[in-house]
Amino acid sequence: MSLSEHLPILAILSLLLTAFIVPVVAKWKNELAGPVSVAALTLSLVLTVALAGRVFSEGAFYYSLGNWSAPWGIEFYVDALGVFMMLMLTIVGLLILVYAVKDLAHELKKGVDGWYYTLYLLLLAGMMGMSVTNDLFNMFVLIEIVAISSVAIISVKDNRHCVEASFKYLVLSAVSSGAFLLGVALIYMVTGHLNIDAVAAGLETALALYPRNILVAMALIAVGLGLKAALFPLHVWLPDAHSSAVSPSSAILSGLVIKIYAIVFIRVFLKVFPWEIYNNIPVMDLLLWMSTFGIIVGSLFAIVQTDIKRMLAYSSVVQIGYVFLGVALLAQTAMVGAVLHIFFHALMKAMLFLSAGVIIYSTGIRRISDLKGLGLKMPVVMTMFGIGALAMVGIPGTNGFISKLYLALGALEAGRPFFLFVIMASSLLNAVYYFPIVGNAFFGKREEPLPEIKPIPMAMLIPVVIMGLAIVVTGIYAAPVVGLASKAVAGLLSL
Amino acid sequence: MIDTLANLFHNFYYLTAMILFVIGFHTLLTHNNLIKKVMGMNIMDVAIFLLLVSVGYVQGGRAPIFEAGAGSVHTYVNPLPSALILTGIVVAVSVTAFALALITKVYQHYGTLDAEEIMQIRSREL
Repeated sequence: MSLSEHLPILAILSLLLTAFIVPVVAKWKNELAGPVSVAALTLSLVLTVALAGRVFSEGAFYYSLGNWSAPWGIEFYVDALGVFMMLMLTIVGLLILVYAVKDLAHELKKGVDGWYYTLYLLLLAGMMGMSVTNDLFNMFVLIEIVAISSVAIISVKDNRHCVEASFKYLVLSAVSSGAFLLGVALIYMVTGHLNIDAVAAGLETALALYPRNILVAMALIAVGLGLKAALFPLHVWLPDAHSSAVSPSSAILSGLVIKIYAIVFIRVFLKVFPWEIYNNIPVMDLLLWMSTFGIIVGSLFAIVQTDIKRMLAYSSVVQIGYVFLGVALLAQTAMVGAVLHIFFHALMKAMLFLSAGVIIYSTGIRRISDLKGLGLKMPVVMTMFGIGALAMVGIPGTNGFISKLYLALGALEAGRPFFLFVIMASSLLNAVYYFPIVGNAFFGKREEPLPEIKPIPMAMLIPVVIMGLAIVVTGIYAAPVVGLASKAVAGLLSL
Repeated sequence: MIDTLANLFHNFYYLTAMILFVIGFHTLLTHNNLIKKVMGMNIMDVAIFLLLVSVGYVQGGRAPIFEAGAGSVHTYVNPLPSALILTGIVVAVSVTAFALALITKVYQHYGTLDAEEIMQIRSREL
């Protein structure tokens, strides 16, 4: 076996090992911790790109951990969907990390930033594992790694809001992990396997013998994943958790963490459970209505928010609704739209949270109404925020338009034109809460004097600008990304 | 009716596990004390572990240790669920430890462990 055989595990291990080395580095020379983490993530990005090249040219392959073959050992199934996610995680994760290196110094207490990188890299490593693992119990372990590190990445900023929000998040995510594990246990009871392929084969025959077990397992796994992905009405923890965290944490939690559960959902519900279930029980219809309510109600909540980060957090509830809407329509085009939206929204929301972070860093303003007149003082950041707002609404020329277009076409392909109207109505609602911010910032008349504006460090501005440009570039020149996304979902809906 | 009862009796491990799970979930949801919430969380976890371990039990089976050269074939219990549960216990312990650490922080910041009071304090601040 050559080194290139081991790319999937190397991409994850480079993050996992660095996560444990970083605190030691930080003890030795505190200012080195950031660059070391950035270097590790860059290495992981290079390995992931090599892996993606292989998967997109030669097709999916299995990788057995420690050379223990399938039914006994843990297996990775590296397919186009998993690689697409790994690419998204490493690219967006790297940009947020570069920003974090500069931003953390003023947001965290002295001496804890070394630990922050540990949590950040653990979180990314866990998510990378989740996107390729082919074993249900391994999935549970990775979910727990991601859950603990995403709670810790909020509570690391030691103030009363963060502590309370992260405790709520921890309890709810422990409940959902428990539900997921119980579901897996019930599946293991009837199939005797944990490997996803073997379970899928086993469930075909087990469905006739033990229908109740499988239904209960399905309900438990759906609730577990829905709670983690903040699917309405299980989103109650998200606004507090995402708005109180430090800006890089909010960006990674809103941009990446909640999406990865949508990917797990796609894998488990389209690959593991047999299709006959959906003919008898309208699981996907239920999901459609839940995501529709999430889109509408989440928008209404977002409109009334006064705090900019809270508004962005509610907007995430809306956007995860789009993703689940695309999955639940069960149409090829809608599925492409869902996967595209996962990637594009990761860019948009990470960018919006980071630019909100820049605004808070240099002016200390968090209230939306206080942003009046800032546009001319901070032109670059507010322009980027404006681009993000346009993309959220889905104006042509930004990538938000492309993914919404695919979702809308998917709604037509599935023969459910009603959901086309849901998407259009929510685009209007998005405009209601995003455009006033940008309009106020550039054209609002300000009575009281502006607060003192700290100069923005380059290391914080550059990631924001790169993401802003990426939003426009992928919006205009979308064909390659759409091609990758179509490859990623090919075969998911093959009946 | 008799059949159902007989089924429940024969599968009383599963029944116990489910009852424990519901007790834990109920504790988690209805109690205001944060420590009790963590306890409820642990009861839930233990219920799942009990279920998985009992799935692996084989009537009359013994510990799956293979003696070389003995030549005799025994019935063994399924070792995989037990191994999984070890991992699960480690995960549950670390979540509990983290939750307790957070609870001490909550107490430092709010001076109470009652979820209701914390909500009131927060709503006054907003």
